[in-house]
Amino acid sequence: MTQSVLTSSPGRRARRTAWAGRTMLTPVLLAIAIVAIYPLGYLVASAFSESSLGRPFTEWVSFANFAELLGDGVTFPSLGRSLLFAIPSTLLALVVGFIVALSLDAAVKSGRIVRVLLLLPLMTPPVMVAVIWKLMLAPTGGLLNNLGQILVPGSEPFLFLGSSPSAMISLIVVDAWQWTPFCILLLYAALQTLPSEVYEAAQVDGAGVWQTFWKITFPLILPTIATVLVLKLVVSFKVFDLVFIMTSGGPGFDTTVSSYSIYRTALQTFDVGAAAAQTIAFLVLVTIIIVPLNAVRQRLHRED
Amino acid sequence: MSQLLRGPSPDEELVTRTVVVPAARRRRTPKHRVASSTRPGRTSAGVTALKWVVIGVAIVVAVLPILYMLGMSFKSPDDILSTRILPSRLAFENWAAAFQNWPILTYLRNSILSAIIAVIVALIISIPANFAMARLRAGGKQALGLIVSAYVAPPIVAIIPLFILVRTVGLMDTVVGLGIVEGLLLTPVAVWLLDGFFRAIPHEIDEAAQIDGCGPFRTLWSVILPLTAPGIVAVSIIVFILVYNDFLIPLLLTQSDASQTLPVGIALMQGGREVMFGQMAAASLAGIIPVYLLALFAQKWLVGGLTQGSIK
Repeated sequence: MTQSVLTSSPGRRARRTAWAGRTMLTPVLLAIAIVAIYPLGYLVASAFSESSLGRPFTEWVSFANFAELLGDGVTFPSLGRSLLFAIPSTLLALVVGFIVALSLDAAVKSGRIVRVLLLLPLMTPPVMVAVIWKLMLAPTGGLLNNLGQILVPGSEPFLFLGSSPSAMISLIVVDAWQWTPFCILLLYAALQTLPSEVYEAAQVDGAGVWQTFWKITFPLILPTIATVLVLKLVVSFKVFDLVFIMTSGGPGFDTTVSSYSIYRTALQTFDVGAAAAQTIAFLVLVTIIIVPLNAVRQRLHRED
Repeated sequence: MSQLLRGPSPDEELVTRTVVVPAARRRRTPKHRVASSTRPGRTSAGVTALKWVVIGVAIVVAVLPILYMLGMSFKSPDDILSTRILPSRLAFENWAAAFQNWPILTYLRNSILSAIIAVIVALIISIPANFAMARLRAGGKQALGLIVSAYVAPPIVAIIPLFILVRTVGLMDTVVGLGIVEGLLLTPVAVWLLDGFFRAIPHEIDEAAQIDGCGPFRTLWSVILPLTAPGIVAVSIIVFILVYNDFLIPLLLTQSDASQTLPVGIALMQGGREVMFGQMAAASLAGIIPVYLLALFAQKWLVGGLTQGSIK
């Protein structure tokens, strides 16, 4: 039996394997078609036509929707705000996460408790994160303004979410609060795998803590830092919940990032054509940022 | 590839050691830990003290807002309007009022049910795909990247088309429709996270199965599936939490209390009045507790799944 399988049917088996492979990939291709290809096609079609939620594609309007974007004074500023949110929130979470990850090896013995506590912000549903911080930052009854009252009795409450630029800064800090654990987790796991022989050699050579860090740890961890950076940036561009609950895009349009602006255009003014054009502009922006960064990341991993 | 793939971290070992070569790995784990804690150049007392300060501050920053929320849920309206930081008495009426004013248990049921449906949908689609790509070398080298790239686009991109699609097939405002759409949306993440687990198994195992006369489908079912079970559990937990925590898609696809999830319910109950703070805190905590319990009991799987899958 064994012999006949080995000698008589390699070609048939290869064909069967190829057929099985294609069959097993079919469901995922269908899923991608539903959640990626169909929406993209729909988006392009509605961006070039006059569309509303009830009556899509009523009239072909060529580039009119895109021309409107240039003049509407909403789309391009909101793209800028998406960057203004995504880049600082990513860097903040990454830098703080790296510092904590570097420190965590001191707590190896109590690792489990420390890790659960540090992971809590990441596990918290973003809507609840937004509610927690909205209460923390509230002008009356919020923790920070209460502390302010205790330190300087009778002082005016500070409007964290109602003034500019502190609303955007608050969103960035809250997002970093939620996502720093993610950076800690991945960077700590990577730090654990660095070869200890290199560190022993460094010690023999008399290298100090600072030198060891810059000459050994940092270069070795750089590819992982690049990966975490790209992942976090992707996540930051998706921000919606925090804006929806904490600021509703305000004060004014101060925190109206692209995803919130698109949501408003599509589901509050029902102008699907304009929303689609905005979405395409947003996709282009995300692609322009993510693709080169991802190329750098891949090169770092290859060199490594 | 990253240095991560050179050697598994302790967390990955927790997950993979039971799979590959149990005894050898288990023996090595403690040594690895000792080595990292006594790493040369990192042992001076000053540096260790500084590290503890960083850890301490990080824990306080991570936990304080959550504790403040807990305190808030027990504050009476008078306490909230005063500048007290801790409640003067435990006002349990916030909790009672929250459960009375809003259908929190229904929201919770919808959240959990849609998350379970999504996990099932994502796994049924991704497991064969991962097997085909990692073990049968189907789809070529670019397949994984193409699948994952579907997740890079912000979900806001798909809201209008998905809204239309779900309405057309008659699943608007149903938990089942929400679960299926979430499952499809998270399939790329599941494929991406599972890839590492499917590739970690030595190829001799497939060959042995083949020699024993197993076709691809049986190899998947009775050989590879048991071996990747830890990874599948980890990815199930991650997908569950992602769906449970999501807001945009349920906001889009549900309209009535009967199908809305807890984050949507809480987001829409915002009165913003100070007197409501206590009730909102209680309602939010009711929604947070299930994820925290899951995080606590499934921490090992969760950490293993995230680190094994996402760094490569």
